[in-house]
Amino acid sequence: MAYSEKLIDHYENPRNIGSFDKTAEDVGTGLVGAPACGDVMKLQIKVGADGLIEDAKFKTFGCGSAIASSSLVTEWVKGKTIDEAETIKNTDIARHLALPPVKIHCSVLAEDAIKAAIADYRAKVTRKAE
Amino acid sequence: MDHFARLGLPAALDLDAVALDRAYFALQRQWHPDRFVSRPPDERARASAEAASLNEAYRTLKDPLSRAFYLAGMAGVNLPGDGKTIDDPDLLMEAMEAREALHDAGSLEAIDKLAADARQDIQKALAGLSSLFLANDRTAIRKALLRLRYLDKFAEEARARRMNIDRSNA
Repeated sequence: MAYSEKLIDHYENPRNIGSFDKTAEDVGTGLVGAPACGDVMKLQIKVGADGLIEDAKFKTFGCGSAIASSSLVTEWVKGKTIDEAETIKNTDIARHLALPPVKIHCSVLAEDAIKAAIADYRAKVTRKAE
Repeated sequence: MDHFARLGLPAALDLDAVALDRAYFALQRQWHPDRFVSRPPDERARASAEAASLNEAYRTLKDPLSRAFYLAGMAGVNLPGDGKTIDDPDLLMEAMEAREALHDAGSLEAIDKLAADARQDIQKALAGLSSLFLANDRTAIRKALLRLRYLDKFAEEARARRMNIDRSNA
């Protein structure tokens, strides 16, 4: 199977690997898994006072396509509002990395991870406001 | 016909391995293609179809984990297929921490210890599954099987990691 250059680049030089303190108020954490292949993905966003995502980190245990998908998403969300970040679709990720059809589910995992991170951040903001 | 019925065995997670082998080898002889060479084409086709189904049944039931997943399917347990994601935080946190520990393990001894722990967890989870199947508790079966998937994946990754270390030491 031939993989695209972009995919290989993200896999070999993943951006933004790491973790933030998940209890911090400005951090949203998404933890999702694909049990059929045993993948697990953690994606975190750090939101600035201006409402923009100032940083993002990920940790993924899975195949190369799952690593590349999460790496790409952390790059894409930086500088975006959480509303903008929420519109990222797995099809955008799959197209950008030219994922082969059997690896489309890896991009679904990355979309679900960013959505979960945003939901976690929003829940924190709501709790704080109450 | 389900795989258990094909082998004439009760549909249960606890399966007598000797009885399984015995049933399989007896049926395999019965449907062996060599016995049908001089038979009419429809009988030959039937024998080869039976032999193929038999092999699949045996492969599925021989391994306890694949047996558990098959039995869950029969019991109507809804498991996420390809491309489906889950967000169970306890399970995923456990899986993430285990994979991090494996990633950080620097010696063969450390990896073997993690792999042994995982094997023990798999045995324990399988032992607990039997009673869940008897009670037909689908929610608990689903939860236990998802955890088993991750434990099995972990064991596979530990084997791969071990081979890599072995190779780089050679």
